[in-house]
Amino acid sequence: MNGLRCFRPRERNNQLLKQELETAFDGITVRIEKKNRIELSIARNGVLSVLSFLKNKGFNHLQLVSCVDWIDDGQLELVYVLSAYMKEDTFEKVEELNIILKTRIGRDNPEFITSINIFPVAEAYEREIHELYGVIFQGHPRLTHLLLDRDYSIPPFRKDFDTRLYVDDFFGSVPAVEGEGESL
Amino acid sequence: MRELELYFGPQHLGMVGNFSITLQVEGDRILKATANPGYLHRGFEKLMEGRSWIKNFPMVCRINVIEPDSMEMVYSMAVEKLAGLEVPERAQFIRTIYLELARVGSHLFGLWAYASMLGFDTVAQWAMYHRDLILDLFEELTGGRVYHIYIWPGGVRRDFPDGFKDRIVKTLHSIGGCVPDYDSTFFNNRLFYERAGNIGKVSRAEALEMGGTGQVLRATGMPYDIRRIEPYAAYDKVPWNVPTREDGDAFSRIWVVRDEMIESVHMIFKLLDEMPGGEVYNRIPNPFKWRIPKGEAYVRCESSRGELGLYLVSNGGKNPYRVHFRTPSYPHGLTVLEKALVGANISDVGNIMISLYVVAPEIDR
Repeated sequence: MNGLRCFRPRERNNQLLKQELETAFDGITVRIEKKNRIELSIARNGVLSVLSFLKNKGFNHLQLVSCVDWIDDGQLELVYVLSAYMKEDTFEKVEELNIILKTRIGRDNPEFITSINIFPVAEAYEREIHELYGVIFQGHPRLTHLLLDRDYSIPPFRKDFDTRLYVDDFFGSVPAVEGEGESL
Repeated sequence: MRELELYFGPQHLGMVGNFSITLQVEGDRILKATANPGYLHRGFEKLMEGRSWIKNFPMVCRINVIEPDSMEMVYSMAVEKLAGLEVPERAQFIRTIYLELARVGSHLFGLWAYASMLGFDTVAQWAMYHRDLILDLFEELTGGRVYHIYIWPGGVRRDFPDGFKDRIVKTLHSIGGCVPDYDSTFFNNRLFYERAGNIGKVSRAEALEMGGTGQVLRATGMPYDIRRIEPYAAYDKVPWNVPTREDGDAFSRIWVVRDEMIESVHMIFKLLDEMPGGEVYNRIPNPFKWRIPKGEAYVRCESSRGELGLYLVSNGGKNPYRVHFRTPSYPHGLTVLEKALVGANISDVGNIMISLYVVAPEIDR
């Protein structure tokens, strides 16, 4: 049991990974936050190459794709959280490291490229972000409704979507009875 | 033969939970499956942005109805990380015992669903009864049977009452004493193997590619468990094993669940023996005025269904700025399920879905 705990010194590894990333990609910011966490941010066109670089490095587990609406900056932030599964032959843990990759895209007409060719699991997450934040992922095979069944003028998870106002508008009045000459 | 489109759920006897699958079938064989979640979408993550850090607890636990405790845990861990709070050691032990009790309860619920779906009604009734005994313990400890809101940032709400340790041991012994009955009636029953063996096979490569965790991955032989990889609470204080099976089918997954329950019970006994004394709670600032410094946290723990993560962002205010749960059922129910159903028989849809341990409210949130 304690045999699983023998892994290489983490700090040195993180520094190595940082150097490799900085030489391989222009304009990448690497911050080693804690021993087990690295935060990367890169411009939008570098994201896919960083993702496939990290996957080849052994970070083969895409845990989450998330989106944050920074309304004051007029930007949406896409967040990819990566880590490593165990080694397939020996079942040693590879690296106790969570990598958080961030990129920002414009809030008006947000478009991005899908990452499902690298991580098939991203499919559902991207569908959700499309639905709740209105980001269009180019190359995604089915950007259809996932959780909701109506179309919204403002995607509902954005900060300027007022839930109370929406509820009042949509459910606040008693609909007219059919056949009384009034439409809904 | 003619191809047909068939709607499976949400109103279907074989479906557990508010979820539906659209099947493309030819005769009894499934050609394509499309998962349709959303029947339980309550927008919790958006609603949480409008409530203070503490007021979010009643909401967090409703994301997974069957095992709300790991939801409380992951949210507390994230808040503690953002606010820089420490948790006393006794509280860590209590949290671990509480989470393992919840895991046993959740697995018994899963066993109820699975056994009753296969027609093993007796076993299903036993499992529900034994889960109820664990809910009695929760009721005594927290006041609630289903939603407990027991774990808080900084510790747990209260210490174990007098004699509670003995009652945990007594309850677990009375459940453990029935394991031979469960084995002879269900797990070693030829009928169970006939229905579950070689059904819903997910290979290790497929599971890794599609974000599989928990039983889905452990049934393919990989002992991937967050409790072992990134130990939290008191999971690194006592020795325990990660049960695995090799075949990756429904039969293996349910066996992993059975072995995990037994392992959890052993773990609880060890934790009860080594429990230190002391405080169970570090005071937090006035919750109504509590502002948490700007920052973000990603934390994860192992729920009874697999890897549970939480991405939590604070902009320095009274409320969270963004909350996003990475629930284990999300990849299992949307990606793995669609893949595992292709080529299966219509009569095995419920079988495969429950063996993947999909809980609809976790997907919708």
